[in-house]
Amino acid sequence: MKMTKIYEGSHQWIMFGRDENKPAKIVDSNQYAVRTANRCLLLEPGGAELFAPMMAAVLHHAPVEQITDLFASHQDPDVISSLGLWDQALSGAKLHAPAAWEGYLRHLGCESIEYVGISDNGGTIKLESVELQLIPAHYLHSPANFHVYDPQAKILMSGKVGSAFESASAPMFVEHFDSHIEKMRFYHQRWMPSNHAKRAWIERVRNLDIDILAPQHGRIFKGDDVKRFLDWFDALQVGIAV
Amino acid sequence: MTNQTKSQFVAVASITSELSAVMVVAKEISLAAANAKAIAFRAGDKAKGFQPITDFINELLAKETIELVTAINIYALSLYRLTVNEYRRTLVYNKLELVSKTAANAPYAASMQKPLENAKNSMQNCQRQFKRDVKQLLDQLEAVMHHARAARVIAANSRIEASQAGEYLQSLQAVAESVDKAAHTIHDNVQRCRIALSLYRNS
Repeated sequence: MKMTKIYEGSHQWIMFGRDENKPAKIVDSNQYAVRTANRCLLLEPGGAELFAPMMAAVLHHAPVEQITDLFASHQDPDVISSLGLWDQALSGAKLHAPAAWEGYLRHLGCESIEYVGISDNGGTIKLESVELQLIPAHYLHSPANFHVYDPQAKILMSGKVGSAFESASAPMFVEHFDSHIEKMRFYHQRWMPSNHAKRAWIERVRNLDIDILAPQHGRIFKGDDVKRFLDWFDALQVGIAV
Repeated sequence: MTNQTKSQFVAVASITSELSAVMVVAKEISLAAANAKAIAFRAGDKAKGFQPITDFINELLAKETIELVTAINIYALSLYRLTVNEYRRTLVYNKLELVSKTAANAPYAASMQKPLENAKNSMQNCQRQFKRDVKQLLDQLEAVMHHARAARVIAANSRIEASQAGEYLQSLQAVAESVDKAAHTIHDNVQRCRIALSLYRNS
């Protein structure tokens, strides 16, 4: 599992992914950690298959007892099917996830972790002095879905939005936006169901000051590529399967 | 999932299935007893010896078997949940052990020690609880077997009593036959449960 620090200031953002040892037939995914002095939040902690390499990688940045919070943007297995394992490994931790998914996600095992349901209009996660905003992203692609915005680091963890699927050797950041488009097009057209939901999200996100847009799969967008992505996504017709 | 875990899931799940068949048979016995009681009443003195047997069939055999099986079913369900729990705890322990090995050189590797110990204890507690529960379930199943054996003795006595019931002989013999058949079925089904479970008593 590769680890890349994508922000370092009063706190850190670390991206985990490009696991060369993952089973071949499961999709590669990006996991993120927000690390403050005494706490660590894992965003989209990943599938059960990736639990061991992910946790081993996190131990390079935080001790187990300081992993206090998990966040799942929605219910997909590659996002949070490791919940039952984290549940047994951590004590006194919280899972921040859509309230609408609580009854479903508890099937994965959630005995010791406290499920903090996020209401439809969003909320915040306070991690010591860092306050992260939970931005509604419903129907992108899940019916109850949130992204995480860090106003200090100017990072938007955008879940499935911005995702692309590439080999484990692909670079961490988008280098040539135009050539990256074809890696994203079909996924966004097929997996994002609603143009209406897409427009509402873009309108909301354009009001945020974003340096880095960090999706759950594939490369990260930074600088001007963030605006390029929003413009491209704005113009894209989605929900093509019907 | 290992083959042993798979077999354990199947064994525990099959108990409920076997016992539901036992329940059907026990209800049939109850009906047969009511039928026999009516015949014995009509037969009067000719079936005097048969009358207490019908009460015995209904009270001891049918009702108690139904009660026992109901209780065992609840117990089997809890054993199934325990099996799921044990599977999950074992999976967690194996994964955490893998984390410890993989992260041996990580700066915070030592912090894994406590979760690993907790996971091991939790897994071992589940395994011990499973063995205890299997033993108790086997004891309960033995009680049902005891009823089935008693039923066969009653069926034999019923045949003797039926032979002295004159024109009611055929009807009462049919009752004796159905009790005997039911006892066989209960015995066989429960025996299958016991064989499946006994593998895990000492595993």
